[in-house]
Amino acid sequence: MYKLKAIMIKDWHINKKSLLIPFWITAGFYAFILLSVAFAYFKGDMNFSMIDLDTGSPVAETNYSVNMAILSLPGLMSLLFIIMLTQGALNEDIRKNCELFHRSQPVSIWFRTGSKYLMGITSNWAVMLIIALFNFLVINIILAIFHQFDFYSAINGMILSLISFMKTGLIIGSITFFFSAIFKDKAFFQGFAILLGVQFLFMIVNTMLNWHLPLPLTYLFKLIKLNPMEGLENDVASAGLRNHISTAWNSILFNWKTLIQLAFSGALFAGSTLIYKNKEIK
Amino acid sequence: MNIAEVKNLTKYYGKLKALDEVTLSIPQGRIIGLLGKNGAGKSTFMRCLLGFLKHKGEITILGETIKSHKESIHEHIAFIPDVSSLDDRLTVQQTINYVASLNKSWNAKKAQQLLAGSDLPLNQKVATLSKGMKTKLYLLITLSLDVKILLLDEPTLGLDIVFRKEFFNTILGEFYDESRTIIISTHQVEEVEQILQDIIFIDKGKMILFEDVEELKKKYSIFTVPSDKIEELEKHKPKLITKTLGHVSAILDSKIKIENAQVNKPSLSDLFMEKVGGSNV
Repeated sequence: MYKLKAIMIKDWHINKKSLLIPFWITAGFYAFILLSVAFAYFKGDMNFSMIDLDTGSPVAETNYSVNMAILSLPGLMSLLFIIMLTQGALNEDIRKNCELFHRSQPVSIWFRTGSKYLMGITSNWAVMLIIALFNFLVINIILAIFHQFDFYSAINGMILSLISFMKTGLIIGSITFFFSAIFKDKAFFQGFAILLGVQFLFMIVNTMLNWHLPLPLTYLFKLIKLNPMEGLENDVASAGLRNHISTAWNSILFNWKTLIQLAFSGALFAGSTLIYKNKEIK
Repeated sequence: MNIAEVKNLTKYYGKLKALDEVTLSIPQGRIIGLLGKNGAGKSTFMRCLLGFLKHKGEITILGETIKSHKESIHEHIAFIPDVSSLDDRLTVQQTINYVASLNKSWNAKKAQQLLAGSDLPLNQKVATLSKGMKTKLYLLITLSLDVKILLLDEPTLGLDIVFRKEFFNTILGEFYDESRTIIISTHQVEEVEQILQDIIFIDKGKMILFEDVEELKKKYSIFTVPSDKIEELEKHKPKLITKTLGHVSAILDSKIKIENAQVNKPSLSDLFMEKVGGSNV
């Protein structure tokens, strides 16, 4: 395992600038808000109160929704950076002309690809988690001061949203990682263009010949689609928020789809490694 | 004792035959030069030895059959391609730490010694180093490995003469002993001629010759005669006759006697020209 550690340290050195960008964006976002508040305060325009805020929903529901919403920015940034890092994972060394140097080290190819996979996906998860926890702290302090705070709803909202983004990132990241083993440049766009082409081709064939060929993008969207807010209003109206949260945990994590998603991602990782392993190094 | 056996090694790039039935045994403890024109198959040969390229034929290195790339082979073989193949995104220190952590054969004491003798800026990115500095770094990380075989594929490409000389002197002084084998592929054969013990000539993917350098030089001589006596050379059917001011020269079998001819010892590039012909060596 010491070899995996050494490779991960090397990959961290290479990718740390990209990985830290979401922190800078978040810091900039907070700095902008603080500056705006400070500006308003010194101009005497501060008229800020949430006490009488009519959210149209009970406290628990507001806490749940708000804590899901705080993941939007870090979640989207995480997806973007997962695509950015994984699309160069298995072709960047070739493009940078250092593939021979890395391949000439006595280390398993599975460790090399594994490290790049972890760096591309799980590191971005970690970044998203840290930002999410910070947002959680800030927003819930504000909620507690100016409105009302319900820990159970808040933490469930945040974690369910976090898991949804993590799973979406895992699948999108695995697909892009696979494309990086095939395409030398702009792997995500090239791979997506091919999937789009196949999608349209199959749609035309299905329409013209009345066949039922499976549509790749439709299947992928089905696999990626995770919405912890789905049925929120009906669930809350019929059985309460706690019941909705329990349903959401089952629909987001504890189901067969999770196993399919994990197997799909694992298969893409293994496939990418085998393609990469069999590439000739000229 | 041989450290590697190559039998009928053939490699195609599409329809192009880059290596054609190469068969040879590489002995232990020798410094072997691999000489050929551009595109002759030198790099392809080295990459096949390491399993980087799919090939036909058999390769055995230190008893291990090489059919595809095996990471374990790098425990015994160090490989320096063009020095610009280092990872530009790492710093000097990170590069050293990376190689040291991955290689069981890393000799920390040797690395310290080499580092002390160099002026490498540890915190600087490899991308910002000059080519000479990159060479020093590549040498440091390679010579700090206790391996049995060192493969050098045009390692001094693009370097100035001072660094080229320093490179080979360091290799010879710090790495070579009689238990270790070095294979050097280079265009600039003049610079390594003094250190080579064996030479392989390769042309259009075929191995033309594999011989002990001293034996080879004993076999042939350069015969120089005045231009009006060119027929003296022509009757021995040399591959190439070179014209100089008022004289003509050709490489012929040393046993041949030509009256009044000036006889000199040939260099490896002379011999290459004689055996392979053409320019662009």
